[in-house]
Order: sequence, then structure tokens, then C-alpha cells
Amino acid sequence: MKHVIIGAGVAGITAAKTIKEMNRDAEVVVIGDELFLPYKRYLLTEFLCDSIKRDELLFFSVEMLKELGIKLRKGEYVKSIEPSEKVIKLHHSEVMHYDKLLIATGGSPGLGLVLRPFKKHISFYYSLYDTLLLKEKLPEVRKCIVYGDGVSCLDLICVLCNLGKQVTYITREERATFGLDEIDFDGELHEFLEEKGVEVITEEQVVSIEESEHGYKVETIQQRMLTTDIVFAWDYYKPNISCIEGSAIEKKLGILVNTRLETSEKDIYSAGDCVEIYHPNIKCYWINFGLPNALAQGEIAGKNMSGQNEEYKIQEAIVFDLMGKSLKARWWK
Amino acid sequence: MKYSEIKIRFCGIAGDGIVASGKIFAGACAKIGLHVMVNNIYSAEIRGLGKSSATIRFSTSKLYSMGDGLDLLVGMVGRESIIDLRDVKPGGNVIYDTSTIGDVEEEESLVSHITPEIQGHSLPIKNLANEATGTNQGKNLVAIGAICYFYSLPPDMFIDQIKTVFAHKGEHVIDVNIKAFNLGYEYFRENYPLNNRFEFDKNAEPKTLTSGNDAIAKGAIDCGLKFFAGYPITPATMIMEIAAKELPKLGGWTLQMEDEIAAIGAVLGASFAGRRAMTATSGPGLSLMSEMINLSVMAEIPAIIVDVQRGGPSTGLPTKVEQGDLNIALYGGAGDSPRVVMAPSNSEECYSGIQLAFDIAEKYQTPVIFLSDLFLGQRIETVTIKENVDRDRCTRKKPTQEQLENFQRYQITDDGVSPLIVPGEPGAVYSTTGLEHSVTGNPNYESDVHSMMTAKRFRKFESIVADLPHAVILGDETAEIGIAGWGSTIGSILEGMELAKEQGVKTKLIKSIMIHPQRENLFRKFFASCKRIIVPEMNHQGQYAALLKSRYGIKPIEIHIPAVNPVSPLKIAQKIMETNSELSQ
Repeated sequence: MKHVIIGAGVAGITAAKTIKEMNRDAEVVVIGDELFLPYKRYLLTEFLCDSIKRDELLFFSVEMLKELGIKLRKGEYVKSIEPSEKVIKLHHSEVMHYDKLLIATGGSPGLGLVLRPFKKHISFYYSLYDTLLLKEKLPEVRKCIVYGDGVSCLDLICVLCNLGKQVTYITREERATFGLDEIDFDGELHEFLEEKGVEVITEEQVVSIEESEHGYKVETIQQRMLTTDIVFAWDYYKPNISCIEGSAIEKKLGILVNTRLETSEKDIYSAGDCVEIYHPNIKCYWINFGLPNALAQGEIAGKNMSGQNEEYKIQEAIVFDLMGKSLKARWWK
Repeated sequence: MKYSEIKIRFCGIAGDGIVASGKIFAGACAKIGLHVMVNNIYSAEIRGLGKSSATIRFSTSKLYSMGDGLDLLVGMVGRESIIDLRDVKPGGNVIYDTSTIGDVEEEESLVSHITPEIQGHSLPIKNLANEATGTNQGKNLVAIGAICYFYSLPPDMFIDQIKTVFAHKGEHVIDVNIKAFNLGYEYFRENYPLNNRFEFDKNAEPKTLTSGNDAIAKGAIDCGLKFFAGYPITPATMIMEIAAKELPKLGGWTLQMEDEIAAIGAVLGASFAGRRAMTATSGPGLSLMSEMINLSVMAEIPAIIVDVQRGGPSTGLPTKVEQGDLNIALYGGAGDSPRVVMAPSNSEECYSGIQLAFDIAEKYQTPVIFLSDLFLGQRIETVTIKENVDRDRCTRKKPTQEQLENFQRYQITDDGVSPLIVPGEPGAVYSTTGLEHSVTGNPNYESDVHSMMTAKRFRKFESIVADLPHAVILGDETAEIGIAGWGSTIGSILEGMELAKEQGVKTKLIKSIMIHPQRENLFRKFFASCKRIIVPEMNHQGQYAALLKSRYGIKPIEIHIPAVNPVSPLKIAQKIMETNSELSQ
């Protein structure tokens, strides 16, 4: 039985490990689009701040992968899936057959039409590759502009503050809330950041980024002109599901799965940030971002691919550390 | 990552511009003062039918061999490159082409064989080449552009080299190739911005590039080669090509004959007529020349036979290296047939060694077989050759007036060397033959004459010894492990010794360009000072080891490598470490 897993993040790797634990003889191939061994994305901040070494980021060493019998294909991505033939096609036209397939391609930040032309001037902080690039750049950086929303945006602001950088945060919203329910933060996240020295500019949008002699000039929709050494920006965070384009796998924003994490196509499962799971309480599909969800979904997908019958219970909140203060983020009340 | 040395292999099929990649890389590296060595491996078949690879090693330090493990493999064609993945170091990289047309099954895909220790990087090589040149040409330049960015090498070093290499093809060809280079560079800058650093001295002086074949041809011409005759054969043909181009400019001649027998015949004829003459061939050609080399022995006509060894026997492996011709060089003649055998270990020795070979051949009226090999002959490397141009030199023993008046071509002398003239010299009769002969050169089959003449021919070899260079001892003189090597294997031995030294194991090496005869005293002293002797060589039988055993009575540890690729320094280091462990017990 050949199990192919697209995605070497938390969900994909957890599923691979679960399958091997359940059936030592199962053939497991994990295809990851990043150049590195599977790593813990949630530790990137600590790596960027030099709190941990690069090796400590890894889920598995090469030796452990060999021991587990998991074949890892790094730096590759899937171009298409043909469920009727049970094959996937990789970007270099390689055709790979599968018996069971898991799509765990995660999500990633993206740029809208306004910012896309300025992509080459924008730095990202999402992957290990981005982090390694940042590690090279940051010693020369004093002023940073961060534009965007969501938990990862807040995470970036925190790390930049911890590294002693001067941070300007620009948001379209009236307040800096990062789309989170601040129930455990007394509704004062915005003020907390300002107290920590972050300049927060609300109800604004970045419309242009140009290279200048000493960094970048950033223009906002209200014609504010700002200068900075580095610009981080993204418009949205969305599931990576380009590999299912052209297939019959049902999707909305993410890949639609039931609570067994089965997609609409036989023997194809999906887990992690790329899925929308049917939520029986709200009678609708719901994206569950975050590490605990990915871990739980990876394990359940692995079990179900191995012939078990387990259901995923939707997690309602994630908790993370915000400059020494605990923040619980709930997806809904 | 920071590098001061990198080893890259381009892998594709014949016609992919693989050899040109090596040439461009070598030229670019030499221009900025790096040390570089390039080894091309290609199929014996014509364009489009076989695999071809160019391995380039460049460094800020002197290189002696192709070293071990690849830092980067460029797989221009997927399937053919799969086997080369085993040569990539852990932590090494692979660039593969994503512009494949049609589906590729998992087992046939290069990418599916890349293990997690190795990093794959995609590059649409063919598509970008098409964009630049409008054809499939330029794929190599796309890859070189990407590599240039990947290792932070200065683009100008390649742009200049592209202009040089394609100068004869015109502006358009130069422009599209530079475009191909730039597209590869930009693709990697955009998709793999996190690059490595190759650190080097930006003020280093440019270096000179040559190959062993090039150095042999140049060395021979600089010491007075006047006549070359040959028959094309891989991997020796380049010597004839250079001779054909250069000798006529200097009043000399190059003849392409109908086969190797005719070639050596022509060489003996030219030498008989007083010209410095040479042929170059490979194993199959040397086999054919055996009888005529015996004529050179018997008639005491100077001749240089260069054998650029390849894999054998028979037609064997025309494009792969081996050191399997030592036995035929030493013993490949009927009767008691002494001949000089020399083996250079690098391009510098190819240049100086061929000049020594001529001087010995001319002075002692003997054939000299000069054993190079495919790796040494064809590899391109940065060298410092001390030029020695003396095209009028003559080491032939001339008769005195008295000797001339009563000329005896095979006069018995103390050193075994008789005076030599050219036929037609006034006042003398020059009689010679392949039959046994008397001092006058007339046929004579009496046993005492045969004994006398055989002794004379061998006596020359006792006399030669005084003219021979001493063997060289390298490494730590106090070491208990000694190594004896020959030919191009010496480079790998030196690097193997360095690897062992890093592990705290001392070794020493004895090397000599002279295989037969040798100045034996130094060898004896060297062997006596060793507790263990290792003899690595690229053949199955241990041909050099056999010679050393019979000559010096040693019992060496033999490493026999019937080679396809140059010997791995690591393999030699491993044997040294094993020997050291055994000695320590």
C-alpha cells in the first residue's frame, strides 16, 4: 500500500509517522515544497532570535527518516492530481502512483493586486527559507514596516520588537486586533503594542513601495510617505490548494473534508491549514489554523488512511505567548 | 555556506554542450586566478547517443586530483544523471531541468532518487535556453548562470569567457549565450535568493590552462620535434592535432598514416634520417606498434612513442581511463628487447618529461615509451610550466673523424652507445637491419655476436641511469607507511595522504617519472625505511607493484583499481588508515 502525502508540515509529517507506527510495512512518501527537512514552523521565531539552533527546529533527522522508513521528497510540488487514475504529477512532469493520498499543503500569506507589483521589495516571514534570508538582512535593519493581519503578523511584530527594531504597524482596521478575539487580553492588544513601542497606524493601506537610496519609501492610500529599511506585507492568508486545480476534489476557500478528513474523492484525505472541515455546530465549513489543529488532524488522517475510523473534534482556540503575556485566540465565540 | 573549493559535474548527453561547460568554467576560473581541474567523460559513440559529463573542481589552493564527492550535480538529462547522484556529498546540491516534455515515470526521474541529505533545485534549463537562443542550444549557459548566482561568483568572469570561447562564431552567438547565462542567473536570484559564498583572493594573478596532451605536444615541439606521424585514436588524437597545426610553422611535418604500424614505421624512418620524431597512440595502437618498436631496439633508432592509456584490453573502453599498458610497454616485444618507459604524473611533467624522453632516446638510441593516460591527457588544469625552448638541441653521439672514416654503426663502446650518423653522410656507409648484426650493421647470426650485441644493447641501460632524475620523496620522512605510485594516480595519492594526515597518520611517497630504468638506490633506501608499503594503481593486475616486487623484493599492500574514473583520494586514505590500525595493533 503506497501512501503519498503532499506537504511536509506538521499535519503531513504527523500523518506519515502515524501511518508507519500503525503499519511498519506501509510505503510512505512525503512531498514537501520546501528545501529543508521537515521543521517546526512554530519555532521559527525562536530560531530567528537565536534562542534555539537550526537542528532544534527539525522534526526528524535524515537518520530518523531512514529509521522510520519515510521517503521524503524535498523542494518539490505537485502540479496536478488525477483521482480516477490514482496518480499525481509533479512540477517536473514526474508521474507518481498512490493508493491513499493526503493533501496537507498548509496555507500561506499572499499579496493582492495592489501590492503584487512591489513583490520584489517585500520581505516575508513565513518559512525557514524566509527566516534564513531575514537572519542575513536583519543586522543591517533598524526600521521596519509591517502591513497585514492575522496571528502570524502579530508574531512578526513581537519578534522584531524583541530584536530591538523600530516597528511601524499599518492596518486597515480601526484597531490592531489581528482578527483575534481578545477575550483573554482585556481588549487591549492595541494599547499593549503601543506600550511596547510599536507605532500603530490604523485605517490605512500601503499602495506603493519603492526602493530608495537607504531602504524603501512606502506610500499609503492617504498619501502618507514613510521610510523604512525593510517592508513586510501581505493581504491575506489562504490555503495552498493549487495542486487540486482541474481535479474533481471539492473546495471552497480550502479543500472540503468531513470529520474523518475525507475529501469528496475516494482515498484522498486532507488535513491542516489547507482544509475546511464541516462543523456540525455551526452547520458550515470552517478553517482551523494553528499547530494543535494540524497535529490532531495529521494523526487522525494517518489513522484513517491506515483503515481506522476516527473523527476530528474541532478545536476552538489556540494559545500563544505574546511578549511574555499569554494570549488565547478563539475562532468563534 | 562559505566555500574555498567546489566540485561540480554537468551531466547530459552528447551534444548538450557538456564539454563546453567545462571549458568555459575552466577558462573563467583560471582568469580570476583560481586553481581548476576539469575531467570530461563521454561516450565513445557519436552525438546524441551517449552520456557525457564534465566534472570541474576549482579551489583557492593547488589541486592534485579530481578529489572526491560532488558539491553540485547539474542533471541536464534526468535519467542519465541518476547514477551520478551517488557521487554527491551529503549536504550537496542538484540542479535539475523542469522543462521535461512528456511524463516521466517515478523510477526514471532523477528527482525521485534525490535523498534527503541532498538538496534539489529546479531550473527550467531547456525552456530558458529556448528563450535565449531560439533553439535547444545554450542549456549549459543557463546552468552556469544559475551556478554563478548560487555560489556568489562574479558574473563578469563568465561573461568574458563566453566572449572568448564564442568569438569565432560572431556577435549574435555571443549575445544569445550571454542572454542564456543571464536568464539562469536571474532565475536563481529570484527563486533561490539564499545563496552560498565562494571566497577567494580578488587580486590573484590569472593562471594558465593546459591538458596533458597539450603539454606533451608543446614540450616535444619546444625541444626540437621535427616529425610526427600518427593514426587517430582516443584519447591521443589531440597530440597529433597540435602537431599538425604547429609543426609546419617551424619547418616540420605531420603525417596521418593509414594505421599505427605505418605511423611508427614513418617515425623510425624520419629518425633514421636524423629528425627528432614521435608518434602518439593508445593501448590498441601500442599493440600494433610492438614489432616496429622492436626494430627500433634492434636497429638502435631513437623513437618516442606516447601512449595515452585508456581502458583495455582490445578496443576496450575508449573514453575511460586505466593504467593497464605498463606490462606491454615494459615487456611487449619479442626477444630481449630493452626499452625506456616513462610515466609523467601531471601536466608539468608531461612538458618537461617528454623533453627528457627525447634527450634519452636520442642520446642512447632507444625507443622511449611515454605512458600518459586518458585522465592526465585530457584533463584541463591550471599549471605553472617552466618553458624550455631549445629546438636545435642534439644529443646524438657523433663519430670522430677517425670513426667516420672507418664507420661502424654498431661499434662496441663502454657505455653501449655507438656513434650515429644520418644515411648518406660522405665518407661513411650506414648499414642497418632488424636482423642481428655485427658492428658494421651487416646481418650476423653467430652466437658470440648475438651475445655481444645483446649485452651492448643492455649496457646502454646501465649508462642511462647516470642521466636519470632522482626519484622524489614527498610527505613525512619519518613515516612508517610508504607509498609508491606512478602516473596520474600520484595526484590522488597526494590528496589521500593529506586526508590521512588530517587524521594524524603520517605517510611518505616515492615517485619517479622513470619506470624503467630507475635509479634504484633511493628506492631501496626508501623501501627499507618503511614498515608497510602501499602501491595503488589503476589496473587489475597490479602491474607496477609486480615490477617493484621483482626489482626490490618488497611485499607491498596493493590497491588495484581497474578504473573508469580517476582514483578516489578517499579510497587511498582509507587504505592508509587501515594499514595504520594494523600497525598499531
